[in-house]
Amino acid sequence: MADAVIPRSRAYAREERRRRLGPLSALTHVALLVWTVLVVVPIVWTFLASVKSEDEIFGDAWSLPATLRLDNWARAWEQAHIGQYMVNSIVVVAFGTFGTMLFGSMAAYVLARYRFRGNRAVYLLFVSGLAFPVYLALTPLFFVVQNMGAIPVVGPYIGLNTHGGLVLVYIAYSLPFTVFFLAAFFRTLPGAVAEAAFVDGASHTRVFFQVMLPMARPGIVSVTVFNVLGQWNQYQLPLVLLTSDREKWVLTQGIADISTAAGYDADWSALFAALSMAILPMLIVYTLFQSQIQKGLTAGALK
Amino acid sequence: MNHGRTRFVAGFLAVPVALYLIYVIAPYAQAFSIALTDWRGVNASPRFVGLENFRRLWDDDVFWRAVGHNLVLLVLLPVLTIGIALFFAFLLNAGGRGGTEGVWGSRFYRVVFFFPQVLAVAVVAVLFQQVFRPDRSGMLNAPLIALGFEPIGFLSSTDVAFWSILAVLVWQAVGFYVVLFSAGIASIPRELFEAAAIDGAGGARLFLRVTLPLLWDTVQVGWVYLGIAALDVFAVVWVMTAEHGGPDHSTTVMAAEIYRTAFQYFKFGYASAMGVVLFFFTIGFAILALRLSRRERIEF
Amino acid sequence: MTRLSRRELLRCAALAGLALPALPALSACATPAGNGGAASSAPAVGATSATNPLGFAENRPLEIWIFDGGFGDAYAKDVHERILRTRHPKLEIRHNATKEIAKTLQPRFAGGNPPEFVNNSGAGAMDFGALVQDGQLADLTPLLDAASWDDPAVKVRDTIDPAAVELGSYDGKPYVLNYANTVWGIWYSRKLFEAEGWQVPRTWADFLALCETIKKSGRTAPFTYAGKHPFYIYEAILTLAAKIGGKDVLKNIDNLQEGAWKAEPVTRAAGAFAELGAKYLLQGTAGLDHVQTQTAQNKGQVAMLPCGSWLENEQKDSTPADFDYAMFPLPDFGSSDALPYGTLHAQPGEEYVVPAKSANPRAGLEYMRAMLSKEGAGEFMELVSTLTVVKGAGEGRALKPGLKSASAALTAAGDNAVWFLFRKWYAELHDEVAAASGQLMSGKLSVAEWADRAQRKADALKADSSVKKFTR
Repeated sequence: MADAVIPRSRAYAREERRRRLGPLSALTHVALLVWTVLVVVPIVWTFLASVKSEDEIFGDAWSLPATLRLDNWARAWEQAHIGQYMVNSIVVVAFGTFGTMLFGSMAAYVLARYRFRGNRAVYLLFVSGLAFPVYLALTPLFFVVQNMGAIPVVGPYIGLNTHGGLVLVYIAYSLPFTVFFLAAFFRTLPGAVAEAAFVDGASHTRVFFQVMLPMARPGIVSVTVFNVLGQWNQYQLPLVLLTSDREKWVLTQGIADISTAAGYDADWSALFAALSMAILPMLIVYTLFQSQIQKGLTAGALK
Repeated sequence: MNHGRTRFVAGFLAVPVALYLIYVIAPYAQAFSIALTDWRGVNASPRFVGLENFRRLWDDDVFWRAVGHNLVLLVLLPVLTIGIALFFAFLLNAGGRGGTEGVWGSRFYRVVFFFPQVLAVAVVAVLFQQVFRPDRSGMLNAPLIALGFEPIGFLSSTDVAFWSILAVLVWQAVGFYVVLFSAGIASIPRELFEAAAIDGAGGARLFLRVTLPLLWDTVQVGWVYLGIAALDVFAVVWVMTAEHGGPDHSTTVMAAEIYRTAFQYFKFGYASAMGVVLFFFTIGFAILALRLSRRERIEF
Repeated sequence: MTRLSRRELLRCAALAGLALPALPALSACATPAGNGGAASSAPAVGATSATNPLGFAENRPLEIWIFDGGFGDAYAKDVHERILRTRHPKLEIRHNATKEIAKTLQPRFAGGNPPEFVNNSGAGAMDFGALVQDGQLADLTPLLDAASWDDPAVKVRDTIDPAAVELGSYDGKPYVLNYANTVWGIWYSRKLFEAEGWQVPRTWADFLALCETIKKSGRTAPFTYAGKHPFYIYEAILTLAAKIGGKDVLKNIDNLQEGAWKAEPVTRAAGAFAELGAKYLLQGTAGLDHVQTQTAQNKGQVAMLPCGSWLENEQKDSTPADFDYAMFPLPDFGSSDALPYGTLHAQPGEEYVVPAKSANPRAGLEYMRAMLSKEGAGEFMELVSTLTVVKGAGEGRALKPGLKSASAALTAAGDNAVWFLFRKWYAELHDEVAAASGQLMSGKLSVAEWADRAQRKADALKADSSVKKFTR
């Protein structure tokens, strides 16, 4: 009997709410569409400007390009080396994020689930890094990286103007957030499975990699997304650490450089083309992976 | 279970802690000591000047304007971003048919709203510089001029520029929190909405009585992220505004002043002193946020 | 060296981990550069000869950094490096260019391994004061006393404008080579002026009347400046101030003299431009940068703007072929002006330095010697369309109309060329005056408030012991 009542009352409630929320629905769509326009129009406008001529860019902002000037893109690609910068960004972010996740999850796991003297101090040391403004450390950091470059054998791979050096710095600066977040996540995981594995004679290391890490997957995915975004968009660190060698620059450096360059060379159409090139792949990658990204991101953040 | 435990703990911590000490802690610690010198970046031996930099900082009007801007951002960036994001998250999830289903096309909106988040801040800053242009080639001013109004100096009027910065920051941040809050709302059991609806709750009351309280934890997480972001604002101000924080310091923030003082005036000692102040602001905010967020969790 | 600094680094790390507030203990770690810089090997020197009077090491590379700004870097690659290479084929030249000199090279100075030759110019240039203060720049005296590139009987010093040496000197020692000679004035399109029947104004009253006429024409705005970079307008204000009150007005400002910014000639000049700002500016000026305003002028949207003689070259891609660039000096303000009509702001600029701590500094000096050859300077003039400090370099070369106009104005000015140096000496004062001037032009600051802000910053700098002071 109860089974019969509940669906009926649900149906009733739904009907009732439709009555109440009906007009809201139209307004809802208006509000959502307004924000969609606010988000999309500047981006589309940039794409349009990227195929405009210099004259058109200096003319009315809402005019459409008379002809598609794809040579703007060619110029941005060739002269501004956008392709090279993009590859560099991908390499640095791939290694940086991998290292961050590996070392970050190791530290977070130990700090979250093992009691030992100094645990709290190490945890706080990591977490306090969340609040450190990076601008404070820039100059000394430069010398640290320079000194690393003087270490025998490995030095040439991790000194200044090396992607290796930048990767290590990215890892170090991503650790506070990663440890903070993952430690909280590891704490919420049930201990029963791990206990069982220990009883079966598994080592600590094996339990971590084969039991706990897979269990923490939602958290791992979401922190990975954060780190990819954060490292991809990083501008300040490469500016200081990858200075002299243009061929090693990452994408944000390239874009900022073109923006500065536009001040001198007045090649505004190439600026827009380069902007579009920086925007487009991110949008495509994001759209392809959006459901995973959103799932991972939210699964973790809600813990 | 204790077999090799110590070795395991030490082994797992060794690399991350070493990296962290070398690349993060050591530079910061050095920065603290540089703050007590008049180092100009190129000379070998900085002179120890004690607290002189801090005394001078106390009288530095521009720096305190920057602090003021950061504090305004600290309040308004989270309030606006979270407010708008909550509104859209609610509409997306509960605004549809029957109040419990997602609105038609909610997946599409969630994807599109997130777009700004995947763009590098440097890219966004360059983009909005063009949007805000003060002549008829500016996206926003073109229609104003066409209609015969005076163009608005979005980035050139000292009264407006700061709000333009805030708008860009909100523009970029909202999408992320819409997704975050959407997931939070989605994880609220349907029955709670239904029960409230049976009790006669309308859209607004549903939101205030059910959605918001159950989302409170997530909102606080967002608040902390946005608060720290507000204290760290740099690239948008630096790349987008005239005079890097202008016009006439009307948009400057602490990070911009630190960067300018260090890398344009080469007063690394003085810049480090500013960094120390920013450091304490951020730490202060973090502690405050942690204190305030020690509220009871609503379990379901 | 490496082991020492590494050990120090680890000690810093350990200390930091133990106790953040233990500051004095950490101060030894503050500048790893101290060790690196001091310990770097002594500069290479080679034997002197007729072709190598400066005695640089031919077997060591010469690393060159050019500021990739309005002049680009082709002049270095295609002209100066080529000239140097023909005489020293064995010398390896490593060419680099950047738009951000300081961001790129400051760390290398700090690290004690700077390149041999730096074109320290542009908005992102390094602070000369700080560089000189720390002994980072090589003394150019050996270069100036060396035989010139073209004629062994003539010293380099005698082939260039003496103002260039004076301007590049700090406390009497030459450290900086100012290579391009820049002339400032009000720029216009001669074609447009002739077509509209507008006359170049001789007095300030004429100038205002011309602005009024242009404004009434309705097609063109009278005046603009690079609103996002108010240096462009305070440059004009100060030049007018010097014209009204004499060269000492600017000298006092440079020397941070008490009340220098509140002197009557300065406030009168500021007031004059504030009036211009209130009545005759192109719409939106405050939000436009130099390229945008200059392009607006090329499109006939605005008639006049203040700029330096690099303008014609900077705009070469967007200038209509028949634009016919020309410039005029600031008009007479009143009959009691201290300096006559034709007075203008002319200043050797585009700075080149040889870092003292580079591996092969003498090669950097040799490169400068090649730059100062007649061929080097002449081709530079043609290529980038600007004047140089090398005497007679433009002889027999075809110059563009704007450059011809600037060159004539410079000759006409004779001894009445004025300049100021605080922009280079005290970047902070420059920024503050720029910020205040932008507000002055948009009516947000009164003249008194403007002068007050500039003076307060000057006073604060004077009291700041960490900033080295210069006088002229």
